[in-house]
Amino acid sequence: MIEMTPAARQQLDHYLQRLRSELRGTRPEVVEEVEQSVREHIEVALEDAQTPVGETEIIGILDRLGPPEQWLGEEERPMWRRALDGARSGTDDSRLPYVSFGLVLASIALFMEFGFLLLIPAMFVSRAWIEQKRERGEPLGARGWLAYPAIALVLAFATILLLIGPPLYAITLAVQDARQLFDVPATRAGELRFLTGLRGVVFGSWWIIAGAFCAALIRPIRFVFAPLLERVRRKHFALLAAIGALLAAAGAALIYYRH
Amino acid sequence: MSPVTDLSLDNWMTQLRKGLLELAVLNAISAAPLYGYDIVRRLRDVEHLVITEGTVYPILSRLKNSGLVETYIEESQEGPARKYYRLTPRGRDDLHRMNQHWDSLHRAIGGLRKQGKR
Repeated sequence: MIEMTPAARQQLDHYLQRLRSELRGTRPEVVEEVEQSVREHIEVALEDAQTPVGETEIIGILDRLGPPEQWLGEEERPMWRRALDGARSGTDDSRLPYVSFGLVLASIALFMEFGFLLLIPAMFVSRAWIEQKRERGEPLGARGWLAYPAIALVLAFATILLLIGPPLYAITLAVQDARQLFDVPATRAGELRFLTGLRGVVFGSWWIIAGAFCAALIRPIRFVFAPLLERVRRKHFALLAAIGALLAAAGAALIYYRH
Repeated sequence: MSPVTDLSLDNWMTQLRKGLLELAVLNAISAAPLYGYDIVRRLRDVEHLVITEGTVYPILSRLKNSGLVETYIEESQEGPARKYYRLTPRGRDDLHRMNQHWDSLHRAIGGLRKQGKR
């Protein structure tokens, strides 16, 4: 160990602390090896220096070593560090996907306290960033994966709400009226057949309407849920309407043959 | 980063140097084992390579973990014990192929430059 002045020792310790912090997240054996190598480098560089080594000499050597922040290439940093650094030091534009992803995480953590509402601003942030990238003709790159979850989750909620919400509500209203309109069998099997048929008719009919509605609004749907729904075509909604028609027909048949 | 910024000369040269650092380090220790500071000194003397000395150590560590380089400690009469780096047989083999690739790339670019001068 080379003898140093307290000020020089403090400079070295501070440098090694920055080095450890910069290598955090890489494998411990790499951190240890690099630190050992740097210590050896400094000792060899100082072997002809007069002792105790002063602050100026140490600063000169550390300057030539360069700041540890520049040592690792972007691709060598652990993913979480890249994400953290990107969010901390990136331009305002490049922070948008991190903001979106952060809002998604917050919405999951606070789901029971209406946290799911955070998904809406998260999706707007993601879409804004994606549109900006497109206007500039730049690829989304790996950050795209931070922007997709918000869009995917809102799309999943919207799909479930569209396919199941209105018919479920309609069924609760229609059951009482249907009992008055139709001769509902008194047997348990007959009643079950009738109710299943009713559900089939309501769900099927709604899916026909929803399919036609979405086919008519295909452009805004593609735009709102881009890039996830960019490949969706009218034929996909026609398929939904066709399934709805089959379901409604099967439901009607069950109601007709309820006895 | 925009494509225009990417194409700036400084950035291009930095990227090129970064890409060549591993090749430079492997070539530096190909003739004989060297310790870290000595490798740094040799690379510092290579014109246009312009290295930050610290960048060499993470590269050496990575090359060691990839099995291309191995280390051993040797006592020194002039100062502290030194960790020497030398190529493994696999490292020598990879370096041979990297050098061949570099030569053929250099020739190909040379060919393009000649065509451009005509």
